[in-house]
Amino acid sequence: MLRVKRNKGFLVEELGCWTVQRKLSNVNAWTVSAVIIMALLFLPNLTIVSGIFSPSNDNWAHMKEFVLGSFIKTSLILIGATGFLTIAIGLSLAWLIAQYQFPLRNFLKWALVLPLSIPPFIGAYTYHGIFNYTGVIQTTLRDGFGKDLNPAYFDIMNIPGAVFIYTLFLYPYVYSITRIFLSQQSASLIESARMLGKGPVNIFFQVVIPISRVAIIGGSSLVVLEVLNDYGVVKYYGIQTFTTGIFQSWFGLGDIETSIKLAASLMGFVIFILMAEKLLRGRRQYNYSTTKVRPLPLIRLKGWKAFMATGYGLLILSLGFLIPVVQLIDWTILTFGTIPTEEFLIYVKNSVTVAGISATVIIIFALIVGNFSRLVHGKAAKLLPKLTILGYSIPGAVIAVAVVTAFIGLDGFLAPLYRLLGVDHTLVLSVSLAMLISAYIIRFFAIGYNSIESGYDKIGTDFRDASRLLGVGLTKTFFRIDVPMLKGAIVSGFILVFIDVLKEIPLTLILRPFNFDTLSTKAFQYASDEKIMEASQASLVIVGISALAIVVFYKFLEKEPE
Amino acid sequence: MKKALLLVLTIALAVLSACGNETATKDEPNNQAKEAEESKEVNLYTARHYDVDDQLYKKFEENTGIKVNVIKGEADELLERIKREGDASQADVFLTADAGRLFRAKDEGLLQSVTSDLLDEQVPENFQDDDQMWYGLTKRARVIVYNKETVKPEELSTYEALTDDKWKGRVLIRSSENIYNQSLLASFIETNGEEKAKDWAAGLVDNFARDPEGGDRDQAKAIAAGIGDVAIMNTYYLGQMLNSEDPEEVKVAESLGIFFPNQETTGTHVNVSGAGVVKSAKNKDNAIQLLEFLSSPEAQGQFAEANYEYPVNDSVEPTELLKSWGEFKEQDIPLSVLGDNNAKAILIFNEVGWK
Repeated sequence: MLRVKRNKGFLVEELGCWTVQRKLSNVNAWTVSAVIIMALLFLPNLTIVSGIFSPSNDNWAHMKEFVLGSFIKTSLILIGATGFLTIAIGLSLAWLIAQYQFPLRNFLKWALVLPLSIPPFIGAYTYHGIFNYTGVIQTTLRDGFGKDLNPAYFDIMNIPGAVFIYTLFLYPYVYSITRIFLSQQSASLIESARMLGKGPVNIFFQVVIPISRVAIIGGSSLVVLEVLNDYGVVKYYGIQTFTTGIFQSWFGLGDIETSIKLAASLMGFVIFILMAEKLLRGRRQYNYSTTKVRPLPLIRLKGWKAFMATGYGLLILSLGFLIPVVQLIDWTILTFGTIPTEEFLIYVKNSVTVAGISATVIIIFALIVGNFSRLVHGKAAKLLPKLTILGYSIPGAVIAVAVVTAFIGLDGFLAPLYRLLGVDHTLVLSVSLAMLISAYIIRFFAIGYNSIESGYDKIGTDFRDASRLLGVGLTKTFFRIDVPMLKGAIVSGFILVFIDVLKEIPLTLILRPFNFDTLSTKAFQYASDEKIMEASQASLVIVGISALAIVVFYKFLEKEPE
Repeated sequence: MKKALLLVLTIALAVLSACGNETATKDEPNNQAKEAEESKEVNLYTARHYDVDDQLYKKFEENTGIKVNVIKGEADELLERIKREGDASQADVFLTADAGRLFRAKDEGLLQSVTSDLLDEQVPENFQDDDQMWYGLTKRARVIVYNKETVKPEELSTYEALTDDKWKGRVLIRSSENIYNQSLLASFIETNGEEKAKDWAAGLVDNFARDPEGGDRDQAKAIAAGIGDVAIMNTYYLGQMLNSEDPEEVKVAESLGIFFPNQETTGTHVNVSGAGVVKSAKNKDNAIQLLEFLSSPEAQGQFAEANYEYPVNDSVEPTELLKSWGEFKEQDIPLSVLGDNNAKAILIFNEVGWK
């Protein structure tokens, strides 16, 4: 059964005081580690925050006069349009799958997450390859049918084109979070609505949208952050956004202060979005109040309705996954052998290793911080973890510089130790994989944390409180009660981070050690030399591994009673 | 159960330090080698990433026994990394496309002057830095490409002439965010003065066939598609398209003509990819040897050919394809001005609304 708790603070606070008194030391262990983790994640951002207060110079004035306005406008259009479309597609698909039975539903249920396995920049290259003058569509029309349509119709290298790309490859964020929420949590409310004679349209607008607001906002804020942070798509399509401005002033004008100022403004905007999310979420919380979460009984669709539902799902799946993958396979066949197989296998190994390590560390950190945020009361404990998410809003290149600076400082600090150990150079950590992995952790903590936090949100504190009342220690409770209940959130968080690291570009390029290539750096190198076809082999394997991870994830979830 | 938490933290730390150790142990043989004798490696930060490069590095290792360790990346980011690493940097050589970036590296004090008779012999003076801080390795020209059906080569003359009303709605070029365009405008600031350069940029924007989008190859395709008639692009992209695996791209490239502008006046804009020895280089001698090798007749052919560029070494002939495009007069300005004027160029682009 689902219970809406508007005032859950009451009981918890009482219990909280009591436990704090009884097991102060335990809380401290959690608090200390959580605070350390958050500080580590937040430190690099400080460089950027401090940028707001530095005096402005001529370049800043120039930027403000000529380009800042249009950067902001373009960025707002991109996030507005992408946000709206991802919600429309993600929510409608989630609702179809959660509520109805139709042909291929069980396949589509997990297959619709697959577009997430295609990095937007690869999607952008691929779709441009399909639509451009030498692409398959125009060529077929020209040579097969003798039709010379205006090539401008097929031009996708513009703002609507970018929105199209972002929507196709990012909607799964909204879809997957909302679907899990709807199928696990909404049963009783929707059933009641059905019994009260509400039609599907009414249920959708009066019940589904309001109760899944948290999930929708959670998913779409990830989408918005991805869009704000993206550099690959907009660079290739020649669209100037906020991120372009950061790069232009930094590398073009050699003015890191102005670029930090821009990054700081961007960060302010992101804080605003996050706050807005909290405000929208309000004090409403929806928790399990029983361990038995019943799935929603499915309504079987028949005839043309079933046909439409299947068709809609397949359409999105084709656009977001099948079509680009077929194109990539085609190009891979054309250019196969460009990269020797042994080398290629090393790239695969490198990619999987860094992604695996980063995802593991992030999930452990997220569990600690999430538990801290849940246990300790007061605004700060709720707000601080949110701030670590800022890493997600800052362009990768900016994080990279912050991390390099930090690691070089650390190496300087450890230099005496290195000498003691007989190492003859002074840069050890900052030329190792540790630096790259730390940067991934700062960058993608938000993804893992979001998942874990919503998991904690879902299980609430009742079971933990019960366990504590029975005299079980805090840490033991965590391992015996919380972790098993969080299993789904842990696996989903791990997979999301894993895929994100696999796809990551600027950090990997800048921070990797000598002779270290991954699939994504290889794909990007070819693509940045405008050798799109040669880039396809590495891209295809990224997509393959990510897709496999998604499938494994769903097989795992299926075994779990939903 | 506090222990369990500790355990988790320890594992996290262990995993992190393990990654550190892994590379540390990998480095170890190198360190020992370093102590034992003259170092047998050279560390390269490169923004050039063609597959043939790796073969050349292997060949260099076979010739000299010096192993080339490589970090590939984007030029600006690599530069920033060298800067941050400061004196401790392990980078010995920085290799990148575009003289503007090489200048920036020099300007920020990241490179050092090296002298070598062999380098002087192999790299012509105008493709070297004035202070021998960097040496050009390959040469590319930014030319006008035109639709053979709608444009006669006689109609073309200079970059400047593309701002005539005649070309309204017919000119294609990529975004100003690209360094090739920044260097092009920077060269005009040098040859024509800042005012005229700005007028040119404004005039060209007026004649754009569409808002800039895509890379250089996309401009060529837009001509074939009939969106515009002329495009400003680098020669080697045309070479790549002519040799593409995709027959459609070959078809597009074959429908285009190549025109070297400003032959009667200031010459066609040329740029280089090149390399310099990093200021804090620990393996300076090896670094110089690498530069000598890359500019040698043995390597130049392959190095330039990989990207359909012109070799800088005069003793090496360009490929048949490049020869078929003909010889041309090059812009006669020191390449370092491209870097000098880069920031000015960016500000002009913003002001005239060249996206």
